[in-house]
Amino acid sequence: MYRSQTLALKYFSAAITFFGVMTLTGLLSSYYYINPDFLFGILPFNIMKILHINTLVIWLLMGFMGSIYWFLPGELGRETAGIRAAEMLFYVFCAAVAAVAVVFIFVQYGGSNEAALWLINQGRKYVEAPRWAALGIVVIMVVFAYNVIGTAIAARKTTGIIMVLMIDLIPLILLYLIAFPAIINMSSDLFWWWWLVHLWVEATWEVLIGCIMALALMQLLGTSRRIVEAWLYIEVALVLGTGILGLGHHYFWIGTPGYWLTIGGFFSALEPLPLLGMVVHAVYDAGAQHMKTTNRPALYWMMAEAFGNFIGAGVWGFMITLPQVNLYAHGTQWTVSHGHFAFWGAYACGIISVLYLVLQRTRNLAVVESHLWKWSFAALNLALVGMTGALLVAGFVQAFVERAIGGSTLEAFISGQENAWFVDGMVARFLLAVVFTAGYVVLVWDVVTLGRRAPVIAAVSPAQ
Amino acid sequence: MSALATLETGLLLGLYALLAGIWGVLWALAQLRPMPIVARAAVAAYGLHVLAALIIVSWTPLGFGWKCLIVGSSLAFLVIPPITWRLLRRTHDKERSEHDREPSQHSRRLVARL
Repeated sequence: MYRSQTLALKYFSAAITFFGVMTLTGLLSSYYYINPDFLFGILPFNIMKILHINTLVIWLLMGFMGSIYWFLPGELGRETAGIRAAEMLFYVFCAAVAAVAVVFIFVQYGGSNEAALWLINQGRKYVEAPRWAALGIVVIMVVFAYNVIGTAIAARKTTGIIMVLMIDLIPLILLYLIAFPAIINMSSDLFWWWWLVHLWVEATWEVLIGCIMALALMQLLGTSRRIVEAWLYIEVALVLGTGILGLGHHYFWIGTPGYWLTIGGFFSALEPLPLLGMVVHAVYDAGAQHMKTTNRPALYWMMAEAFGNFIGAGVWGFMITLPQVNLYAHGTQWTVSHGHFAFWGAYACGIISVLYLVLQRTRNLAVVESHLWKWSFAALNLALVGMTGALLVAGFVQAFVERAIGGSTLEAFISGQENAWFVDGMVARFLLAVVFTAGYVVLVWDVVTLGRRAPVIAAVSPAQ
Repeated sequence: MSALATLETGLLLGLYALLAGIWGVLWALAQLRPMPIVARAAVAAYGLHVLAALIIVSWTPLGFGWKCLIVGSSLAFLVIPPITWRLLRRTHDKERSEHDREPSQHSRRLVARL
């Protein structure tokens, strides 16, 4: 096994750990809605939410990096360039995330000064990490880009997938630089901040997961490189074509010119079109294999990725993307519902799929099969669908009672929060979050014990 | 837009996109397993999708431009599954035929070398 693949295993371990932290903080965050006095004076809701969202970003990022470190040497036929720096930075990355979490939990917030920005919290949603940690992320991403590009140069070869990946890493790094706030005007600040959040999630990350899924498909189903690369180009072009200007749907109601309503609404309304193509592609691939594979968990999670992406990003997004509806739905639990479903479908399922592929190789399993993966698959997906349904109901109440009828006054906000449908929706979300947590525990148990329980028919060749 | 229209429009838009997805999946399944019931279900799903589009166009307070977008998207949703399928079939068939040709070329070279 290459050192890069050993590093990948570490990244996957860290990713699954942070997935757990995200799940736990999400569960606790959902409880605040039922009992607002929960941890009163100890840990406020906003800190719990910061931990939930930031660990989401971190575990997905670590999952992406683990996947790339895993596939890269096999793809280019050599050890990853600069592997020692990458190995060192893995520990720095983990230590930095732990340090930031400790500061968030115990220090929580600072004054309105430079020192607070550097040491405690930058105060911008999704990228709250203090400036020193944000600088650290930049260094890690630069080294990661060097690992990929340097390996291709050292190997004196590249493939279509690696080429797309290398091009994608440039905006991935450049866009993160927006995480360092320097603008005082709030509208201008939000304008650029959305470049980071939207173009990471709906452009660079989409391309990244597209490359990872292309590499995984070749390994899982033996799909030929030519087919995978041809489809990668088509799907990336379509996703970017609709996703980049789909950025405009975040420019509603933040002080940007009115034409963004048209641009954002139009392009984001087109986003479900390529996603439908991906769903048809997934059905074709599954049908061509008759759903037969030596790694059913990986295949099922990959299918969940295609369907979850369409439903979460496509259907849920389509409900709120036109400006007329978005005027009322913006920032309600309706949006939260869309965010949960889209992140789960587009990214989380894909990373879990790759994890099972990696496990098959590292544990020399001819066939990956167990009862546990089915339980975790069912629990995680059903709980997620249930949670998004509950949030949707709660979001309807907010859009209807608080926004459309009440006109977004404080009184309307309170009456929305006290509405029985909202309260029941939040209780249902909490209960389903418990089921989701149980699904996570089963997933971890399956991943940890897989080689010891699964029927090993014959050893496959070791990882290349 | 009235309060109730907000909810109705949002729900209809979601239903519209969901039915398009169901149409795509059923259409693809009908190609894999030529069972008439699956093909009929796919047509029914698209029919319901068109119905949702018609309701959006005629009953919701969306502007004319947005309604045109809905109609255009419905047409795109109709052709995406067959086009995607045809492209997939073509690339896979091409790959298969080239793969099948490989051994014969190899043996020809082998014979020439001998």
